[in-house]
Amino acid sequence: MSDGREERKEQEERRKWEEKKNRDDDRDRDWEREGERERRDSRAAESPDAGVRAESERRTRRSFLVAAVAAAGGYGFYRWIDRSPGDQLIPRPLRKMLDFNAKVARGVFDERGLAPTYPVNKSMELRTNGNYGLKMDLVPESYRLQMVGVEKAKRFPQYVDDVTAWEYKYAEKKEAGPVEHDTKVAPKAEAKVDPNSDAGAGEGPMMQGGPASTMVAGSGEKKEETKLPPAFEKALADLKKSQGNKRPRGQEEAGMSDSTLDAGTPGLLLTIDDVRSLPHQDLVTEFKCIEGWSQVVHWGGYRLADLIAKYPPERKPDGSLPKYVYMETPDGDYYCGFSLQACKHPQSLLATEMAGRPLTQWHGAPVRLHMPIKYGYKQIKRIGLIAYTDTQPDDYWTKLGYDWYAGL
Amino acid sequence: MPGIPEKPMEGGLPIAPEPVKPMAELAEGDVKVSPQALPIAAKELATEEVPADTAASIPVPTPPPAVVAEEQETMRPAAATIRLEKKHPLAIRWMHWVNFPVLFTMIWSGLLIYWNDSDNAYQHPHAVYRVGVGALTLVRLFPPWFWKAINAPYRVTEGLGYHFFFMWLFAINGILYVSYLLISGEWRLLVPERRSVRDAIQVTLVDLHLRKGLPPQKKYNGAQRIAYSAVILMGLGSLVTGLSIYKPTQVHWVTTLLGGYEMARWEHFWLTMGFCAFFVVHVVQVVLAGWNNFRSMVSGYEIVPAAKATLEEERSAR
Repeated sequence: MSDGREERKEQEERRKWEEKKNRDDDRDRDWEREGERERRDSRAAESPDAGVRAESERRTRRSFLVAAVAAAGGYGFYRWIDRSPGDQLIPRPLRKMLDFNAKVARGVFDERGLAPTYPVNKSMELRTNGNYGLKMDLVPESYRLQMVGVEKAKRFPQYVDDVTAWEYKYAEKKEAGPVEHDTKVAPKAEAKVDPNSDAGAGEGPMMQGGPASTMVAGSGEKKEETKLPPAFEKALADLKKSQGNKRPRGQEEAGMSDSTLDAGTPGLLLTIDDVRSLPHQDLVTEFKCIEGWSQVVHWGGYRLADLIAKYPPERKPDGSLPKYVYMETPDGDYYCGFSLQACKHPQSLLATEMAGRPLTQWHGAPVRLHMPIKYGYKQIKRIGLIAYTDTQPDDYWTKLGYDWYAGL
Repeated sequence: MPGIPEKPMEGGLPIAPEPVKPMAELAEGDVKVSPQALPIAAKELATEEVPADTAASIPVPTPPPAVVAEEQETMRPAAATIRLEKKHPLAIRWMHWVNFPVLFTMIWSGLLIYWNDSDNAYQHPHAVYRVGVGALTLVRLFPPWFWKAINAPYRVTEGLGYHFFFMWLFAINGILYVSYLLISGEWRLLVPERRSVRDAIQVTLVDLHLRKGLPPQKKYNGAQRIAYSAVILMGLGSLVTGLSIYKPTQVHWVTTLLGGYEMARWEHFWLTMGFCAFFVVHVVQVVLAGWNNFRSMVSGYEIVPAAKATLEEERSAR
């Protein structure tokens, strides 16, 4: 009887001893990891200081572990953004955030703010920066402003069954204008190539994979002369022929617009005099380019809001207005999308004059847009089409990675 | 090993902000855990956020009482000469370390954006980012080799995308940080005092080996108080100038107050240069201050002499 009790007691003690030994062993292993100094401290000193150090080490180990996990998580977050599939040339999370920011900006500011205006003597001639859609001179007499989606369009004498059938006439550039854009590299003194001209109907170096844009990854550095395969050239020629030998649209880096009109779209063909019949406005505002520079410019022209009032958008069956406005150059190479509200902003101007003189061809004659609530890349030159639409229109620079909203 | 006073320490003695109580009091009498220690431990766990946090992430194993008793018998020696001072609250540590990569991303993406304006030097040399007075320009920032070295050319869209993504993280983190300072009272340890300027000069002279003898300090010395407060204001400045560049039409009154669009860009740029300068000095100082100090920004605790006054007084003082 007593044997059994003693045996149990012995077992119990043995178990306790083993437990303690295990704990001690564990701790020993920990100290091994702690390094020589700590072990020496704890064993030799046997002072409470060693305990404090041990506690510190324990906390440090734990914190650095958490820190390592957090750092890995942070890096993973960055990688997730960076490796996400592209949405119009930028990673999708970045694109989504640009859209979210636009929503916030609309919610907070509602694009109601008015840009500050300046005295005329502070203004200067605007830089030229990009000639997309302006590769050739437009013959002024052939200019028409196409308007699509206008309410009861048939009541206007300018109504036609197919606005896309209108033929714009082009001429070789008489004057290149100041060569100021795309100067990311030192201009070669001996080079006689006029970067503004591209007299061959827009099939100049930019179309051949040459330096097209100052703002898009890689493209500015490319220099190779692309020789298209014969089969491709033949297909292109056939395409041209099928389109009545018109120059194909969308001949710049961003390509063809998804919002370009289908053949047979009815609408109005306004003359420049129709535009000029609106009340004339002068505006001196600061033009801001997303590249970073800004200039105070004196504009003269006509409120887009007045044009919209005269040729209002057709309402949807539920009585609401379409949300967007789409514009493009006559050759369809450059195009922009806006909200209808931005177009109705009192400072959104159909500019026909700059610095007190009529617009030059390289600044977008006869009509360009000035919109101080947007960056310059939305201020399209040589407007050929204004279309009301309810789907968010395509936009040249959005396709190349920029924000669609671009609101200032 | 014997001699590690695990339980009593959990009980809050060496970690406790209060001056260390004599160990003898604990060890004498009962072999069980001192009845005085336990309430302190409970209070600590309930009120202090660090133990709460650590308990949440990795549960602290509580040894059975028998072991504690055994170990306490062996720790009759005198009180520790050092203790752990809780220097940086958990929230501040998190926000500090979140800010580091976020601010870095803002600077990097800002450079990608800025390249676009700086590079058109052959027709329109950038007017904004330069060192000069009037028509005289000493330096234009930055030289071509720099752009190449950081692989900035033709990455504007990437820069804009990241800048307008991480601006939210930078702003939210900054707002949380300042709110925490205000609510917790931690601002008292950070905001410069009347004597901070004098102290700062003295500290700087000592750092430059021009003088000996640091002025007495608690958490931060005068130079630190001024530098850390200034860098928070700079963060606010970056947010305001950034907004005035981002929406110069909608908030044109802010832009105008800052001296106009170009001026706001100039300010935004030089604030960034200020962050870079702060970063360099900060890292050098942290390296010089050593491991104990650096570790406290990660673990929160610094090993200090037991006799040193606790920071809690400074925190709660008014």
